[in-house]
Amino acid sequence: MKKVLIANRGEIALRIIRAAKELGIKTVVAHSTADERSLPVLLADEAICIGPPPSGQSYLNIPNLLSAAIVTGADAIHPGYGFLAENATFAEMCREHGLTFIGPTPENMRALGDKATARKVAREAGVPTVPGTDELESVEEAKRAAQEIGYPVILKASAGGGGRGMRVVHTEEELERAVQQAQEEARAAFGNPAIYLEKYIEEPKHIEIQVLGDGENVIHLWERDCSIQRRHQKLLEEAPSTLPLETRKAIAEAAARLARHVGYVSAGTLEFLVDKEGNFYFIEMNTRIQVEHPVTEMITGIDLVQAQFRIAMGEKLWLRQEEVEVRGHAIEVRINAEDPEKGFRPSIGKVETLLFPGGPGIRVDSHLYAGYQIPPHYDSLIAKIIAWAPTREEAIRRMERALSETVIEGPGLKTTIPFHQKVLQNAFFRRGAVYTNFVARRMEV
Amino acid sequence: MTPKELKQILQALVEHGVNELTLETPDYKLTVRRGGEVQVVAVPQAVAAPVPAPQPPAALAPALAAEAAPPPSPASEGTKGVDKAEECAGCVEIKAPIVGTFYRAPAPDAPPYVEEGDRVEKGQVLCIIEAMKLMNEIESEVSGIVKKILVKNGEPVEYGQPLFLIQPL
Repeated sequence: MKKVLIANRGEIALRIIRAAKELGIKTVVAHSTADERSLPVLLADEAICIGPPPSGQSYLNIPNLLSAAIVTGADAIHPGYGFLAENATFAEMCREHGLTFIGPTPENMRALGDKATARKVAREAGVPTVPGTDELESVEEAKRAAQEIGYPVILKASAGGGGRGMRVVHTEEELERAVQQAQEEARAAFGNPAIYLEKYIEEPKHIEIQVLGDGENVIHLWERDCSIQRRHQKLLEEAPSTLPLETRKAIAEAAARLARHVGYVSAGTLEFLVDKEGNFYFIEMNTRIQVEHPVTEMITGIDLVQAQFRIAMGEKLWLRQEEVEVRGHAIEVRINAEDPEKGFRPSIGKVETLLFPGGPGIRVDSHLYAGYQIPPHYDSLIAKIIAWAPTREEAIRRMERALSETVIEGPGLKTTIPFHQKVLQNAFFRRGAVYTNFVARRMEV
Repeated sequence: MTPKELKQILQALVEHGVNELTLETPDYKLTVRRGGEVQVVAVPQAVAAPVPAPQPPAALAPALAAEAAPPPSPASEGTKGVDKAEECAGCVEIKAPIVGTFYRAPAPDAPPYVEEGDRVEKGQVLCIIEAMKLMNEIESEVSGIVKKILVKNGEPVEYGQPLFLIQPL
């Protein structure tokens, strides 16, 4: 592999450039007209414009991306995250054009692509999923299922999403009425009254396991706790979690087993919900590098993006499971160009003054520079600040120190820094009492 | 067919997973196939059918890239436009609607579609951009005189890159 085309933008494009440069691989950034003055474009060996600002015509434009790779003489494509990263057809087309897709195989993606297929594969590998039913035919069926699974249960619309049509039921007495209401809501919201039932997991932690595979061997790089979310958007991640070691080990081993079961290639992440008793349930797998990968890099010392390159070049895993060591604690905050005072409304503007934190144990992954105009066409992530320290308490204090140094200012520009400062000061967060509804319940936003 | 329309057709094929499409009009017949082989058979009335590129693009590309690597500095489209406009006041820029390899002639031994100083009509083919083994004919958006050809035969072009300056008449 001599030259890689980066089919992405922003901080992850920069992250990939950094990994490639250290490996001696030349870089070409494919960019839209809105990103022609971006830092990845400035720092790559080459840049090629692939379309106008809307991502459908640029970052998702498969013919232009493949042409860009061919005319610049690239022999590989790194998709980053989002955009085409989990598109099996794109991975297949790269293969057909003789380009190495830096990521899992199209077969891996298809085996784990949608939630229903992934759940089936998990059951085959003996990995627990959230107990639930198919579409319910009757109230009687719902009663039988709920009794078997155990209350509380949650009713969900088959066509649903975003919390609509969902109903938590604690006892059998409530069930009949709840089924009718959920069906009505589902009909009103989605035009389809079909519902199903699942075990309701109270105050779950969102725990995800990082894995690396070479198609035969799979190792895990332990977990990240991503429970601090707002409307299913992760805001702050940390590793390791505050779970007991035996629980952490059980989840990590289950994740590696599942990845091994599908012959997984490259870096991937398996997401789990973990209840208060330490029971864990597989939800889905992300077949790509993730935004929050740096916290794992900080505690293991393993460069995950370089690992993706090495695996794509055909190298077999160079680490055994027992050689993966966890040192200290790392926290990442996602700094978004959003106004937390106004419902996290996107805030677009020009960065006039910029000062990133430094000092011991601080890492910043960001594509910002003073004078950079944040384009309105893409997501609002503008920087990730990662703090590492020997213990969680020290990492929290280090992150507070880092955020107090950070200046990202421009006319009308707001960021989520004040929100993160409040999370870090929260007493529940401090003692590790975090779960997926933490932000809604403890942060009054 | 305009380059934009062709691009839209190609995008629609990919987005909807269509593997083969044949389009027939009084002026031309277009067949596009996806998968292992991709080809176009275009039969415009005035112009000979384009033939495949002189060399396979994979072999061609590294040499071209070395010769014509885009500069690392982020040259903006706006800036490029201003520079070109200075060379020819009132000229219209014909820009690349897709990424690919620029060819001035329909075949290696064929004469170029246009030379500097030629008079062209709106809709006349000016060049070909080859993308993923597809020959895309790029037409003039205006009638006028070709004042300048900005790209050399066989060079890679990026989206939005100015290809021709045409003085409208």
